[in-house]
Amino acid sequence: MENIIEVKNIKRYYKIAKEEKGFWASLKSLVNKKYEIKKAVDDISFEIKKGEITGFIGKNGAGKSTTIKMLSGILYPDSGTVKIDGYIPYKQRKQYVKNIGVVFGQKSQLHWDLPLIESFELMKYIYKIPKKVYEENLKKFVELLDMEDFINQPVRQLSLGQRMRGDIVAALLHSPKLVFLDEPTIGLDVVAKEKIREFIKYMNKNEQTTIIFTTHDMQDIEKVCERLIIIDQGKKVYDGTIAEIKNKYSNIKNIEVMYEDGSKEMKTFDINKIPMNQVMEKLFTEESIKDISICEPEIDGIIRDIYEGKIELNADTKGE
Amino acid sequence: MGELRTMMQMLKMSFLTRLEYRVDTLVATTAVFVRESMNIIVIYLALLKFDKINDWNVDEMLFLFSILFVTYAFVVSIFADLRHFSDMIRGGRFDRLVIRPRGLLIQLILNNADLMASAGHGTLGIILFIVSAGRVGIVWNATTIMYYVGAIIGGILIQGGMFIFFSSLCFYFVELESVREILYWNMRKFAGYPISIYSKLIQGLMIYVVPFAFVNYFPAQYLLRKPDMANYNELYMYIAPLVGVVVYALAYVFWRISVKRYTSTGN
Repeated sequence: MENIIEVKNIKRYYKIAKEEKGFWASLKSLVNKKYEIKKAVDDISFEIKKGEITGFIGKNGAGKSTTIKMLSGILYPDSGTVKIDGYIPYKQRKQYVKNIGVVFGQKSQLHWDLPLIESFELMKYIYKIPKKVYEENLKKFVELLDMEDFINQPVRQLSLGQRMRGDIVAALLHSPKLVFLDEPTIGLDVVAKEKIREFIKYMNKNEQTTIIFTTHDMQDIEKVCERLIIIDQGKKVYDGTIAEIKNKYSNIKNIEVMYEDGSKEMKTFDINKIPMNQVMEKLFTEESIKDISICEPEIDGIIRDIYEGKIELNADTKGE
Repeated sequence: MGELRTMMQMLKMSFLTRLEYRVDTLVATTAVFVRESMNIIVIYLALLKFDKINDWNVDEMLFLFSILFVTYAFVVSIFADLRHFSDMIRGGRFDRLVIRPRGLLIQLILNNADLMASAGHGTLGIILFIVSAGRVGIVWNATTIMYYVGAIIGGILIQGGMFIFFSSLCFYFVELESVREILYWNMRKFAGYPISIYSKLIQGLMIYVVPFAFVNYFPAQYLLRKPDMANYNELYMYIAPLVGVVVYALAYVFWRISVKRYTSTGN
């Protein structure tokens, strides 16, 4: 498969005015303002093939949104290049955005006071969607996402899950080749999340839509994505499959220890450093232990350890 | 063609939104109408005492006012979204426009049209026009009617251009409400009277900087020919409808330059 996205060494720095405390300091800053440079995105490169579903994760403020904004043409990179489907997003805006769909989970594009269908109609005109395509897509999406009951209800009366489904449909009516989903499952219940995941998988499988997905929910990543890119402090720290990362850290074991007084404690061991038999020996010498259970590392835990700096990712962990 | 249909859908959505809140719509429209009418009534009563200001009688002044209201009725709906443009930038809603395959300005026009304000200003403008137009001695023929229509369109473009200009400034400075308030709204208040009553400085501002004089004063002069026109170049009367096109074009160019800053500097 050929690449649809090619990102080379993009950087994006922000100048943030330094807030100074105290009256004189703030007065002084009126004349002589000091700035701090924040490296939102600091030299990121990757390629994405047509039809891939890629999960993008990172702590709040790690640079995910800035990266998505550069990919969708909202921001220029300070340096580096982005090429998507033959276009340079921030230079050939109008041509480029015809082929993409973007869902910002935290910012609805639906018209608050009007029935959902009115916002869809607006998309039809804005994207100049041929009548036949529009009707087919609408029918298909409404069926897949169970929206018959509320498509004629004003958006303000919808639940968050219903609204999010509406937002996803609004972004996909023009059959985009590439879709950016920025936290599409934020704040949703398990059922609504599942519905959205199923839909994303369906679109990828049946329409060959390339999907880039940011989330804080590891379940989303495990259930939907083949590939995972982790960003931390503006840098790419991991790029590979989920199976690989799990494999890589299968040496990290979590042992839950229950004491006789009923209290529990979680201990983490690296069996490459301390073999399991030594771990056990050490544990059994402690008297008051009632029970132990060994847990395989979950993706959640691994990601948390990466965020907290407990796991150092080096060049060779960046799977290809 | 696609642009027109998009705008029609936006207008339809603004209408439907108003229908969702019928009572609110009615109350708000009435409130705008009453508020603006009160202003006019106060001015009217004051004028009765003076009889004439710089040779303009009460009916001629009402005619001057009517142009202001009729043009604003269009402006307030067509350019409604630009009134709170700094909020739009800060709230990140502008990003949404960037990722749609349309011109950025065209997506703002007629969006969230303030139909209540339009109805309020429009009704008052038409009433003032009906009351005054017959009594100020204008001969309505093909030429004057065409000029009048041209001047109204010009007036809409001038004020729309100013809205676009102030919105463009939001790309450089985040908070601008106060500047706009002083320049736009105060000048608009001044524009209710013949500009010849003001100091040279304010006259200059109203002709060359915030060109409200071309919205109503010079068009009214073309139709009324009052003696105070001798203070100005006669050409100004004839070019009034064209000034709108020029102001709008300049504002659009400035908008294009400023928008570039948005994507290159971010938020």
